[in-house]
Amino acid sequence: MTSLALRHRIGQVPGWIVLLAWAAAVALPLYILIVSCFKTTAEIYNDKFGLPSAWTFQNFISAWTHVDFGRYLLNSLGVTGAAVVFTVLFAAMAAYPLSRYELKWASPVLAFFLAGIMLPIRLASVELFTLMKELGLLDSRLGLVFVYVAIRLPFAIFIFANFMRALPRELEEAARIDGAGEWRVLFLVILPIVRPAVAIVAIFTAIAVWNDFFFPLIFIFDQDLRTVPFATMSFIGQYRTEWGEVFASLALSMAPVLLMYVLLARQIREGVGAGGGLK
Amino acid sequence: MAEATRTGRARTGRRFSAAAFARHRRAFLFILPALTLYVVFIVYPLALSLWGSLFRWRGLRQQGFIGLDNFVRLVEPPSRDLLFGAFGHNVIWFAGVMLLQNGLGLIFAYLLFRRGRGTALLQSVFFFPAVLSPVIVGALWKLLLSPEGAVEAMLSALGLMEGRLTILGNSTYALYVLIAIDAWNWMGLPVLIFLAGLRQIHPSVFEAARLDGAGPVRTLWSIALPLLVPAVSSLTTLSFINTFNQFDLVYVMQGVAGNPNYATDTLVTYFYRLAFGAIGAVGITDIGLALALGSALFLLLTLVTILLIRFFERRTVQPA
Repeated sequence: MTSLALRHRIGQVPGWIVLLAWAAAVALPLYILIVSCFKTTAEIYNDKFGLPSAWTFQNFISAWTHVDFGRYLLNSLGVTGAAVVFTVLFAAMAAYPLSRYELKWASPVLAFFLAGIMLPIRLASVELFTLMKELGLLDSRLGLVFVYVAIRLPFAIFIFANFMRALPRELEEAARIDGAGEWRVLFLVILPIVRPAVAIVAIFTAIAVWNDFFFPLIFIFDQDLRTVPFATMSFIGQYRTEWGEVFASLALSMAPVLLMYVLLARQIREGVGAGGGLK
Repeated sequence: MAEATRTGRARTGRRFSAAAFARHRRAFLFILPALTLYVVFIVYPLALSLWGSLFRWRGLRQQGFIGLDNFVRLVEPPSRDLLFGAFGHNVIWFAGVMLLQNGLGLIFAYLLFRRGRGTALLQSVFFFPAVLSPVIVGALWKLLLSPEGAVEAMLSALGLMEGRLTILGNSTYALYVLIAIDAWNWMGLPVLIFLAGLRQIHPSVFEAARLDGAGPVRTLWSIALPLLVPAVSSLTTLSFINTFNQFDLVYVMQGVAGNPNYATDTLVTYFYRLAFGAIGAVGITDIGLALALGSALFLLLTLVTILLIRFFERRTVQPA
């Protein structure tokens, strides 16, 4: 190694220290969360940072039975799954003519949708509550799905329209000459090509819906219909002194997201770089 | 001959308009499901909220038109102190997020950028907290920061502190702790957005800076940052909107009243108490005030967002 290259390497050391320090700041709290799940509450008080003396699943078992976690997991999966499917479907359907047909009214309609990316819908929650009540959608998982899809549509349409606009026009014209109807053009020609957009929309819709607790907080009163974050919150309120169980309940509600993140880390990184809007 | 041309033209003309009509109709049918959900569940309730803020309310029942009385009540005692307190906290929160999250995020992104492509794992680690529910982030940090928690143990071990750590109950510092946790939570966002922006700058720009003898700090500040205005713009706008919608972290960690003694209260937690009542005081709501606060906040968000976007548009440098 030449001395210049060596000096370059040495010059990079402080930067590496800064980067690794932040990585530690992210990892350490999560490490404590994981090891604490396997400790008794007394052990958590005595030794915060060490590995558990015995790996016991007792905390998970108590948390699971106390919270009825399986039911909430199914609720969350159902609501999130339905919200993702309908967001992708309706957003792709709307973005297709708005970005690919020659329509005079396309750009104002698109702007009308895109304004929704920044609309603070929580501030309308009083009137939304009244509306949901009149529609019989309080205490309803379907009601949550409607609200989530409506909230996620603007961002999804924005992403789809951006991807679809970049495609060459010959694409659907060739398919139309072959006699394909508009549905087939959209679902068999366009959507397969904009797969990255489908991935971005699906991933970020899933994360946002899975994590939300605001709308269950105001629309769900029946305990059996709660979703995971909401149920976790009321659990930690009730069992606040049982630290082992509280940590275990946090780990349980984090597990699905962690699994997805490990599988899709690259797509998520690229999606944030491309689209930005996650919250 | 002339006759045939004329009817031919007329026929194609009619066929064209029929085709155009079919195309408009088909486009409309494709948009309809999205439009319906968006209008019914977002636009309509928002419009009703704006309109409703001009009326007197008894519980959830709308009564007579009273003009701006709700807004006047909002800025008069007893609401006044809560409103301005919460507004001040939101402003401090925004400044803190800009400095801590977006400022540090820019530095992290630049360090990662200079180290090339072998940093994917670090980027993923940095972004991970952003995919966690605010319930997990809030509850985890509440446990870590509680008396006899991990942070206390660490500070004691390092000799930085003695006795019990009660910072979340301290009305001077609790707000800053929450802002730091929010920055911890979302740090990955500026890192990834700045990194994507840095990669779009042509390598020759950095090469020229290096040949001119510019060090890394100068290169970042004078060369890269002016070219990153689109990223700065979207992050500033996003941080502004998110900060002034801040609710989750406060609710999970400090309760809906922004404990201690409203020291961490935000505009949306105040809105929530007015609209849905506080824990232990269910039923004491004031829908008129809630709608007025919601409308004022909506107008503030819209106005400032438009101003921010305009401000940054004028400062966008087109790379030569």
